[in-house]
Parts: sequence; C-alpha cells; structure tokens
Amino acid sequence: MQHALELRDLTKRYGTRTALDTVSLTVPPGSVVGVIGPNGAGKTTTMRLILGLIRPSGGSATVLGADPWRAGPGLRRRIGYLPGELRLDSRITGADLLEHFGRISGPVDGRFRSGLVDRLGLDPSRRVGTLSKGNKQKLGLVQAFMHRPELLVLDEPTSGLDPLVQREFLALVREAKAGGQAVFLSSHVISEVQHGADHVAVLREGHLVRSARVADLRDEAPRSVRLELDHALTEAQARALDRAGLEILAMEEAQGPAGGRVVVEGRVSGSPAALIPLVAELAPRDVVIEEPDLEQAVLGLYGRPGPVHAGVRHG
Amino acid sequence: MASTLPLVRHAVQRSRVGLVGWSAGVVAASLLYLPIYPSMGASGQLQSVVSSLPAELVSTLGFDSITTGAGYAQATLLGLIGFVLLTIAAVGWGAAAIGGEEESGALELTLAHGVTRPQVALEAALALGLRLAVVCGVLLGALLALDGPSELGIPAAHAVVGTFALYLLSLLSGLASLTAGALTGSRTASIAAGAAVAVLGYAFNALGNQAEAASWVKDLSPYDWAFSPAPLANGLGNGAAGGMAVILGLCGILVVAAVVGLSRRDIGG
Repeated sequence: MQHALELRDLTKRYGTRTALDTVSLTVPPGSVVGVIGPNGAGKTTTMRLILGLIRPSGGSATVLGADPWRAGPGLRRRIGYLPGELRLDSRITGADLLEHFGRISGPVDGRFRSGLVDRLGLDPSRRVGTLSKGNKQKLGLVQAFMHRPELLVLDEPTSGLDPLVQREFLALVREAKAGGQAVFLSSHVISEVQHGADHVAVLREGHLVRSARVADLRDEAPRSVRLELDHALTEAQARALDRAGLEILAMEEAQGPAGGRVVVEGRVSGSPAALIPLVAELAPRDVVIEEPDLEQAVLGLYGRPGPVHAGVRHG
Repeated sequence: MASTLPLVRHAVQRSRVGLVGWSAGVVAASLLYLPIYPSMGASGQLQSVVSSLPAELVSTLGFDSITTGAGYAQATLLGLIGFVLLTIAAVGWGAAAIGGEEESGALELTLAHGVTRPQVALEAALALGLRLAVVCGVLLGALLALDGPSELGIPAAHAVVGTFALYLLSLLSGLASLTAGALTGSRTASIAAGAAVAVLGYAFNALGNQAEAASWVKDLSPYDWAFSPAPLANGLGNGAAGGMAVILGLCGILVVAAVVGLSRRDIGG
C-alpha cells in the first residue's frame, strides 16, 4: 500500500541551525497522525516541507507518491492545508475567499462546502476583517477540507476554536479518516490530538523523540495513585509495592476523625494490575488510581536529554 | 482548472476600493491643473512667473515649455502629480503582491494550492499591469475630455503616447517592487526598490538638466527616457518610441527575475 505521506531522514537546516534533524515517519491512507511538540520543535517546518514551500536540506518527503518540491500544482490540489498562522485577506467576504480558494484547488462540491460552513457555524457573508480569530480559523478549516483532499495537513487546527466547534472538528477528522483520507495534524498539547489521532509523533528541537500509537502511549503513561492506610508501610511492604511498579513519592501521617491514618502518594507507569493484589492485602481505607496522564508522559519526553527514538518509524 | 487567471481575478477583486480611489485621484488632479491653463499659460502670466524663477529650478521642475498646452500638461500632470500618484499606487501594489503577501503569511497558503510559482509571479505582474492600466486609462480619459475646454491643443494620439509613457514608467517602479519581493520576501525591501527606481530616476533627470557636465546621468533615468522626448508634443517621434522600448525591456527582465527568484526560494522560512 502506498503511504499518503512518507518522510525519510527529513532534514532542514537554516544556516547553522538545524530546524529538523533526520525525521522519519509515515502516514498511511485512512489514518490520523498527530505531531506534538513545544514551539520551535519543527512541526511547522515539517509541514512546509510536505507542502513543498521549502526545500529539504537532506532526506526526502514523499507525498501521495510525489516529491513535493518538484511536483506541480496537481499534487497540491490533492492536499488540504491549514497554516499555523492563518492570514486571510480581510477586505473580502468569507464566501468570496472560499470561492477564490476553490478556483485554485481541487474541484469543490458546492453542497459539501455549504455543509462544512453550516456545521462549523460560519457566516460567509461577512467580511473576513470583521471575523473573530475563531471564525477565521473556521474559514481556514473549510478551505482545507472543502475539496475532500487525499491528505490533510493541519497546523494547530483547533487553536481559537470553542469546545463545541472543536468537537465538530474532531467529527470532521473522523469522517475524513473513514473516507480514506489521511490526516497529519499538529498541536503543542496532546489533549488536542489524543482523541482524533491513531498515532502520535513527538518532536523536540527538530528531533523525533517518540513515535507511537496513542493507545501504547496511554498504556505507559504515568497514573497517580493515592492510598489511605491505617498504619504506616513496613519496609517490606514498601519494597513489594516498588517491585510492582509503584514509585512512592510521599508518605505522611494525618489525623482523621476515626484516629490516625497514613496517606501514601505515588505514581505507576503502565498497567496498575500488579499493584492491585498487594494493595488489597494492605486493607486500605481508600484507593485512588487515576486515568493515565498523557500530558505528563509527553512532558517527560520533552525533557529527555537526547533523541531517544530518532529514526524509529511506525505505520 | 476551473477558471483562467484566478490570481489576477483575486488581486483585482481585493483592490477594487484602491482602484476607485486612485482613479478619482488622477481625475481630481486633472481637474485641478488643466482647466487653469488658459488663464495661466496661454495668457503669458505663467511665462512671467517662470522667467522670475532660477533657471535651475525651472529645468528641475520641467517647466521649460510650460507655455504650450502640451508642455503645461506634461510639467504639471504627467511629469509631476500624475507621476507621483501612479508611482505610489504602483509601488504599493507591487510591494503587496509578493513581498507583502509573504510577510503576512498569505503567500504560503496560496502556494499550498494548485498553482505554480511562475504562475504566481506572472499573474501578480499581470494584475499590477492591469490595475495601472485602469488608472492610466482614466487619466487619459480626463486628459482627452479636458483638452478642448482647457485649450491645450494636444492631439489625441499624442495624449495616448504621453499617458502610455507614464504607464510604463510607473509599471517599472511597480515591477521593481514586485521583483524585490519575489527575490527577498520582504515588504520593506520591495517598497525601497520601487521607490528607489522612481526617486533616483527623477533625481538623475533633474540633475542632468541642471548642468552640462552632469548631463550623462540623464541617460540612467527612466523618467528621462519616457518624458524627455516630450511625447505630448511630439507623439512617438523625437526618440519617444526608443525610450519606451527600453523601459518595456527592463520591465520584461524584472518579470523574468521575479519568476526565477520566486521559484528557487524557501517560502515562509
């Protein structure tokens, strides 16, 4: 199967600064890949390389089977692009602007476009200059989706959108995926991509530090654990919990209404299953095991000293 | 492709207000200057004013033949206020076309669509040429309409040639801006390039007119190539055709440079 997007050791240098360093990843048709990373991690550079706006310094990008730097306009008609810093002409109406983009992209089905405009709650008769940031973002989304491109490249697509519209956007992404379109989107926080994306690629300072299925990332993400006990842990109990994966962060005594008790706070990465029999033996008053915190997992990746998984590919 | 020249259409659509404004400006300038010719130039009043001015100032302003209808229209309208208005319009549009669009981030989105970079450069140049043609067309209309009432006595064919010379001169400044934008992606550099062509052209012409020893600098001035042959008085004769051909050739070179420059460069950094 041909990938919608295949990056191989893709590198972009500006002078002595390396904006993107040997990044490899693939996006198969009908899949959604989210790239996350802090500002300056190389997300936008990656997208500009995919669109053929800038030329790679090394490696290659293959987009729908073609080299985007050399490919003609035919390739870009098959791509929908939403730039991270969306600048639209403010002097004309939204409808005129969509008409214009329709003329320079793939054939647009007028009914499908009106459907998008309605679903996102956009008033196309207003001049672009009078629209709020969120409404401009909606225009940007409509122009990216309206010609039903085979590949959608969306840089921070949900920025400025209210939660209801964000949900509608996620629905659009799911429908695109169901229709066999590939989606490559970026965000600086994982919460925006974890619901829509199958795969997550984490970029930091131009390196791909992790590329994994969202489910795998969730499995290994840390969960907070809180135990309320009648007695302090013995050394043996603490060692057993540690072997079962619980990293104990704090242990303190507290006075409750029913006498003294001990609160143990800790963190477990991956499945907490091994902990449960041990905890049951402790006969705790209360146990809280929270949902995995993907944000925490990703922040951990940002902080790592080097490119741990650079060059690892998925898909 | 759903339509021809989509980018030209978009550019013209976006600058409708500007087009109307600049057209109104050249009409107002024509109405301000031309109707007073009979009371000023033809009556000899202006001649006495001009005689009292320092000779250098007279030649700098191009007032040497201000007592004829063609000389008056050249010195006041085409050579001065019209030149200034059209140069500002041309540099503004030329700088916005590529440098301004790139700096704002809009060019990135255009290029992500089904267009080629040569197409973007060529359609931008064409949109610039079209808009300037509209304003110059309005100026020509005003000149022709006021020629009789203002007793200028300029033959229609000469009015066409004179306005066309101004058109080419402003197009050159506009294309200098557009091409600087295509090469650098900077709006500031675009404005500087277009303004430099216009200002230096005007200054070289004025300097060359002042002193015999410096007359060679006039040869570097597009303003001189366009207007020294006095096209309103002489039509295509007196070297006007040659001068305009040189400007047209330079315009062509600038367009080629814009196409090549935009095609090879990273956009949006």
